[in-house]
Amino acid sequence: MADQFLQFVLNGIVSGGILALPAIAFSLLHGILGFSNFAIGTYITAGAFIAYVANVTLKLPITITFLLTMILSGFLGVGVDQLAFRPMRQRRPLTLAIVSIGVSFILENMARFIWGNELRSYNLPVVRSMVWGGIRIGKEQLIILFVSLIFMALVQLLIKYSRLGKAMRAVADNPMLASVKGIDSEGIILRTSYLGAALTGAAGVMVGIDTAIDPTMGFKLILSIFASAILGGIGSATTAVGGAFCVGLAEEVSIIWLPATYKSAIGFGMIVLVLLFRPAGLFRRTKVI
Amino acid sequence: MINYLIAILIFVMIYAILSLGLNVQWGFTGLVNLGHVGFFAVGAYTSAILAKLGFPFLFTLAAAMLMAALFGTLLALTTLRLKEDFLAIVTLGFSEILRLFLLNEDWLTGGANGIIAIPSPIRQYIVKYYDPFYLVMLAVVLALLFLFLERLRLSPYGRMLRAIREDELVAATAGKNVFRSKVQAFTLGAALAGLAGVFYAHYLSYIAPEMFVPLVTINIWVALIAGGSGNNKGAILGAFVLMGFLESTRFLKDFIPILTGFRLAAVREILVGVFLILLMIYRQEGVLPEEKIQQRN
Repeated sequence: MADQFLQFVLNGIVSGGILALPAIAFSLLHGILGFSNFAIGTYITAGAFIAYVANVTLKLPITITFLLTMILSGFLGVGVDQLAFRPMRQRRPLTLAIVSIGVSFILENMARFIWGNELRSYNLPVVRSMVWGGIRIGKEQLIILFVSLIFMALVQLLIKYSRLGKAMRAVADNPMLASVKGIDSEGIILRTSYLGAALTGAAGVMVGIDTAIDPTMGFKLILSIFASAILGGIGSATTAVGGAFCVGLAEEVSIIWLPATYKSAIGFGMIVLVLLFRPAGLFRRTKVI
Repeated sequence: MINYLIAILIFVMIYAILSLGLNVQWGFTGLVNLGHVGFFAVGAYTSAILAKLGFPFLFTLAAAMLMAALFGTLLALTTLRLKEDFLAIVTLGFSEILRLFLLNEDWLTGGANGIIAIPSPIRQYIVKYYDPFYLVMLAVVLALLFLFLERLRLSPYGRMLRAIREDELVAATAGKNVFRSKVQAFTLGAALAGLAGVFYAHYLSYIAPEMFVPLVTINIWVALIAGGSGNNKGAILGAFVLMGFLESTRFLKDFIPILTGFRLAAVREILVGVFLILLMIYRQEGVLPEEKIQQRN
């Protein structure tokens, strides 16, 4: 029982690490553009399939696949922003949220059109899991966790210390003031879209390695991503990480008591509870991004 | 051919009821509901389960509407105070979790297999022309519903809902109970989705969780916005436009040979997505924009 519990905790930490990247992306985009972007879920799917082409069709090794996926996913994010969101910059947030749902239907079905509905996986060398006591840890899981932690740290540094990060915080805090100060907000939007989609695409590869690749994989995670961001108090990339680990842990540990199929109900329950009782998020903080 | 046309018209009218329900919430009152398909499912399942237990049609219909209304009230009471893009997330989440429930609680819902052999009302008396009869019955229901909602729209109550949509603060300052009215409007819309669910379940005589996916909600949004949100005629017209669009894409496979099975489904969903985005960017007011109400005097 104790072993089983530890196993779920470990799985929860890994899935929290994966969730953290789209949760950061969601928070950054929400901070800059001010709407809930439902297309984030499908950027996961897009990333996973870009990597599928690179790794399985073109037979590239997984490291190159991973980098290539991030680069291309970023361009996808920028393309979506320019085509779908740019014509509606001044519209109310809800309109944009609905447009983003349209985007995610389009992307998901493009994947379905090309690759169909069956589950796919990458071409990876088979590695034996490590076993400690009754706990199994896959080497891939450790690498995924390690890589996602590195990205989290890099994003933190970027936001805190770089010029781009400072400009992002300025736009998120007060777009008018930022533009008066000569910050090119369209440029910031482009870069944030690129960064968000690249991070989410990376998470797509990780989800594909950890579970399987199929067109619905991203949209299925959307509630967990929203839950992470909302737990973190929306708009803060730092606390979104905390939110992601909470959601990942809660979802995995819930399997002890609930059928695994109800996992995404946990994320939903957390969203409702937090919005009702602590709308500013679990970690009280007022800073933007 | 005529049978095919009747079947399509029945689906159009069911969509029209759904679209009218969303119109009460979004069109009149400005409430976001991305979980409309959830209330549709509650209505369909409630009526189907009760009918299988032997309850008469009018009873299952009333129970299904009440049940959908109850879900609507509960969801509205807990979440309507949220900012609207959170409301979007929560309502979408509601319909997805409900679908998980339908998929997993076999004892009640039949799980992935769904519920089969749902009895159709008074079928034993009208064996031969059942579908035309169903169509007429549905048309009468839709007509009554339309008249009721037009009355509502033009009544002081309808005016208050529009005031809430335009500016909550002003409505509240004028002494209106904003929160209560929002809950009522949301509940009414949910009950109408439940009503549509009843007609859907008893027409198909078979329901399963896979029929109640978020795509249905998006379809209804496209129908309402294309037709003209805030306008009851627009809501009905939108259901015709959307169904015409979806049914005509069905024939794409006759012209483009690679479009079979999942590919055709994918292309249709892509087209709905593109249609939604274009509508939002270029014509948010729809084909029949909301009518300005002239003040006498």
